[in-house]
Amino acid sequence: MNLIEALEILNQALPENAPPLRAFLACGLTPLHLQTFLAAHLRQRSPQHRVEVSTGLFGDLAGNVERLQGSSYDLLFVVIEWQDIDPRLGIRSLGSWRVVDLPELMKSASLALARLEQSLLRVSATVPTCVCLPTLPLPPLFVTPTYQACRYELQLRQLVDSFAVSISNESSLRVVSAQRLDEFSPPHGRFDIRSELMAGFPYKVSHASAVASLLALLSQNPTPKKGLITDLDDTLWRGILGEVGTEGVSWHTDQHTHVHGLYQQFLDSLASAGILIAAASKNDRALAEQALERKDLIISRDYIYPIEIHWSRKSESAQRILKTWNIGPESVVFIDDSPMEVAEVKAAFPEMECIVFPKNDSLAIWDLLRRLRDLFGKSAVSEEDSLRLKSIRGAVTLRESLELTGGSLDDFLQGADAFIRFAFGKQGADKRAFELINKTNQFNLNGRKLDESGWLRLLNDPDAFIVTATYQDKYGPLGKIAVLTGRLRDKHLEVVTWVMSCRAFSRRIEHHCLKYLFEKFSADEIAFDYEATTRNGPLQDFLRELLGVTPSPGLRLSRNRFFERIPPLSQQIEEVVCG
Amino acid sequence: MAELSDRLVRCFSSVFPALTQEEIRAATVASLVDADSLASVTLLAVIDEEFGVQIDLESLLELESFQKIEQYLRGKDGAGTVPNETIK
Repeated sequence: MNLIEALEILNQALPENAPPLRAFLACGLTPLHLQTFLAAHLRQRSPQHRVEVSTGLFGDLAGNVERLQGSSYDLLFVVIEWQDIDPRLGIRSLGSWRVVDLPELMKSASLALARLEQSLLRVSATVPTCVCLPTLPLPPLFVTPTYQACRYELQLRQLVDSFAVSISNESSLRVVSAQRLDEFSPPHGRFDIRSELMAGFPYKVSHASAVASLLALLSQNPTPKKGLITDLDDTLWRGILGEVGTEGVSWHTDQHTHVHGLYQQFLDSLASAGILIAAASKNDRALAEQALERKDLIISRDYIYPIEIHWSRKSESAQRILKTWNIGPESVVFIDDSPMEVAEVKAAFPEMECIVFPKNDSLAIWDLLRRLRDLFGKSAVSEEDSLRLKSIRGAVTLRESLELTGGSLDDFLQGADAFIRFAFGKQGADKRAFELINKTNQFNLNGRKLDESGWLRLLNDPDAFIVTATYQDKYGPLGKIAVLTGRLRDKHLEVVTWVMSCRAFSRRIEHHCLKYLFEKFSADEIAFDYEATTRNGPLQDFLRELLGVTPSPGLRLSRNRFFERIPPLSQQIEEVVCG
Repeated sequence: MAELSDRLVRCFSSVFPALTQEEIRAATVASLVDADSLASVTLLAVIDEEFGVQIDLESLLELESFQKIEQYLRGKDGAGTVPNETIK
């Protein structure tokens, strides 16, 4: 985006009632084009919002952050440059670059970063915060020639890196990737000394655009994809099984097929972070199974589930895999070396991201891995991520077991040794609860998503409560699978959010959730902020069964009605109060 | 040649969206940017980006009007493709 485009985006008319998106840009430089670009990029990503980007005082980054009331904003952007760490690291302030002053400069920088860290930790508890570390070259103040790193220069960079590591531990605080910024904006083309001296704005226009673009992207935090379906021949490995046999396919350097090994390693990495990996291949099943059992396979064989190997259409395989995973096509990436297969699956599932594996192009495979990291990337890996595949396998075992034995749900639940732990309270770092609210569609009270600023407002609302439920039985743990949020005002209990993972269906956990609320709050009635959506059918079915009528907005459930209707509940319950 | 004029109008229009094309073509620079240094810096940056010509603030005011800026840019062979140049 260039400056004229940014201005034109901001000049576009908006409806009068467009909701505001209030952002604060904290920096020590004159915000100038950075503010313009940031507003334009945010507007591009949230076209329905009236984007407002406020700024603070020139030359006072730390003070701008310290004075900030986070709750007044939806987003906070912090852009740090060297002169914010110490004015002597910039060119506008004429002081001393004497050798004898360098040790003191290091101490001053350390103190400045510590001060900034404290204020960032405070404010990020109330507003999602994105930080960009210094991007400009250091001035030539060190004694070494510019091609030799000076000890003080290295020390300065170490201070900034330590600061970045420390703040990145906070769940609501994210740091711009320096590597990605280098790609967008080469380091030698960033500094505009003329503009810095004239206007206090040290960025070339193109650099301002790149910084703003990445900050806006970082603030968006899109929901990551959940599963990847991969082909086998000429994708997971090089070669066609039917032609070269089990030992003929390869993924190693000595056979010049290393990129397939790299792809396997990448899928293994995704799986270790809780991403579901399945295989869909038109092949001889026995042969493919044999190849997948090879000891030198880089991806763990156990990570690939389910495996669809037959001669039918790939879209049929994808359909069955989606059913086993119980997720929608919009959450899945399909990869195959055949453009025809990719087109066939795309036609069946337009919402699915379908990608042709570039088998003969190493650079394109490198780009593919980076693209996949962006599609599946998340800020942190939770305990539930490591349980996901196990719980899916458990659900399949359970379903098959019920079908085989013809047993009732009551029989199953009584013999399942199930245990539910309710956690009552607000845990700011509980990203799993936030994630569940935003990724659950089927058992969802109203389908509404919650952005990070809304989540932080909820955590800071004294009238609001949050309850989470964690489940396990003899088939394995499911982890945290349900979240309820609401308010209690004058003994009036209202549930605003209620989501439950589809992996937890058919265990009567939803009945336990309501029982817990009635008992916890001694409530006579619960009001629900209910709304039907195209996807919350399971929730509608549950409420219909409980109420005896089709649920509608303004829904209320009395204590008497609930306890009259609940089926036998056999799980053990535990409560943890936190926060 | 009309293309250059239109491109310059687009530059002015992006910075002063409330003005019509006619008002832009008739405008004096001083009346637009005197009271608003942010607008002047933005206008200079947009012209630099569009035509690859750096003009400083004093020179912008010396050029006086939209018409004179247009004439100045026409004086450049292949304006918009020339390397960055600063006028003082």
